[in-house]
Amino acid sequence: MFSSLEFFIVEAFRSIRRGGLMTSVAVVTIAVSLTIFGTFLLLVLNLGNIVSVVSSRMDLTAYTQKDLSLDEAAAIQLKLSRLPGVEKVEFTSKTEAWNKFKGDFGGKFALDEVIRENPLPHTFAVQVRTPDQLTQVARTISNLADIDEVRYSGQLIKQMQTLVGAVRLGGLSLVILLSLATLLIVVNTIRLTVLARETDLYIMKLVGATNSFVKWPFIIEGVIIGLLGGGVACLVLKVSYESTVLRLTQALPFLPLVGDTFLLTAIYAVTVIGGMALGIMGGYISVSRALKNEV
Amino acid sequence: MIELTNVFKTYSSGIESLYDINLHIGKEEFVFLVGSSGAGKTTLLKLVYREERPTSGKVVVDRVNVAELDASQIPFLRRNIGVVFQDFKLLAKRTVFENVAFALRVTGAPRSTIRRKAMQALELVGMLRRVNSFPHELSGGEKQRVCIARAIVNNPPILLADEPTGNLDPATSWDILQLLDKINKRNTTVVVATHNKSIVDEMKKRVVVLENGRLVRDQQLGMYHV
Ligand SMILES: Nc1ncnc2c1ncn2[C@@H]1O[C@H](COP(=O)(O)OP(=O)(O)O)[C@@H](O)[C@H]1O
Ligand SMILES: [Mg+2]
Repeated sequence: MFSSLEFFIVEAFRSIRRGGLMTSVAVVTIAVSLTIFGTFLLLVLNLGNIVSVVSSRMDLTAYTQKDLSLDEAAAIQLKLSRLPGVEKVEFTSKTEAWNKFKGDFGGKFALDEVIRENPLPHTFAVQVRTPDQLTQVARTISNLADIDEVRYSGQLIKQMQTLVGAVRLGGLSLVILLSLATLLIVVNTIRLTVLARETDLYIMKLVGATNSFVKWPFIIEGVIIGLLGGGVACLVLKVSYESTVLRLTQALPFLPLVGDTFLLTAIYAVTVIGGMALGIMGGYISVSRALKNEV
Repeated sequence: MIELTNVFKTYSSGIESLYDINLHIGKEEFVFLVGSSGAGKTTLLKLVYREERPTSGKVVVDRVNVAELDASQIPFLRRNIGVVFQDFKLLAKRTVFENVAFALRVTGAPRSTIRRKAMQALELVGMLRRVNSFPHELSGGEKQRVCIARAIVNNPPILLADEPTGNLDPATSWDILQLLDKINKRNTTVVVATHNKSIVDEMKKRVVVLENGRLVRDQQLGMYHV
């Protein structure tokens, strides 16, 4: 087998050269579908990243009953900070809040004239460890005796998570469909080069070639076509992702885009390996189908 | 070497190509298989190198019933049987050398062996000067020689030739038969299917006659007609 390896490789390149236009079609097909595949992967990755970063910055606000003393408030703060899932608790006393409020509006109104007594409660800003704990923590806090009300933007987080889920699901189904379509095209493309050489296959078998001997060049041809297609897709993805990130970070510097080189390298590698896998399967399936008709 | 016992072959079209054939061909024999077109000569040869399977009966080649041979073993059977096809079956886009070398390549032989043996075979058939030509650049007789070189390059114990003089002029036909005789004298069993009367009569070898799929005569030092 190994003594024939050189021969198989030479045969594969020969076939590619002869395939001409069809080979290019197969390469482009693989490149296009893998580029779409990679784009989805990058999109899902970044959306997930944005959601987790944004939601980790979100906290909930708990308002106490109005007539709570500072000591009582300090006790609550301790209680809150010990709740499971709570990362950090910040206290703002009703006086601080009132002064700040007055300061904000102070220039325009004399609020003290209108409202004699401080109408505001003490507030706690509570940060949770992970976004999915938010709802649970909010419910627990609102059930505490001295807490009047809890507010948080759980709705927004839920919506974002649904969006990411939908993109993930849609992307996955699209990628599966796309892979099947690509495989079909690659099989049929390589099949054309197989068909053009069906007489050759028949003769090879008549002079004593085994099936695997006949198959190897086509499989190697698949590897080469797949590597070319995957390589092109990888290059397109890398260049366009990097320029997109560059432009977006200039326009929206706060947007948390994925810049993790390890993760990105993994995605690029998946693209190339995916191309190779498609090529191998394409070559194998098409030559096996042709050989089934032979004796 | 080759033994057919009660062999029947009916193609799916319903045509009875071979009917109750019993035939024994010994080691290093030279046999003419004669009969008019459609008599079943090609079918009989195909059974031997397992391009076709008999509908019933046994086809034993070198002690193995090839009718029952597992598909994975067929390539190894074929490496032991050189076949000269009526229509040559040369690989059109490969040179003379590559065509002959191919029969060695499939065995996984090392490159130096492939080169040496292919050149020897081409020398034997007198085609050394045309190693770099493509099949379409050759005459019928030359193609036939290349085909013979490819058939013998593995030193198979059996050589089957299907109408090797089918498209050749008398002088060239005679040359080809001399070549096959030479190969036979180098310890190879040779079976030649033909309807070339003058050659059969001239060579004075064993003659097996097929008629409408039946074996009607089997004669040592025979003639085409009785
Ligand atoms: N693949 C096939 N399918 C159906 N019929 C066939 C096939 N090959 C040969 N035949 C028929 O079998 C008979 C014998 O053919 P063949 O063995 O080629 O004869 P010969 O070689 O003596 O001319 C013919 O009638 C031919 O039409
Ligand atoms: Mg015939």
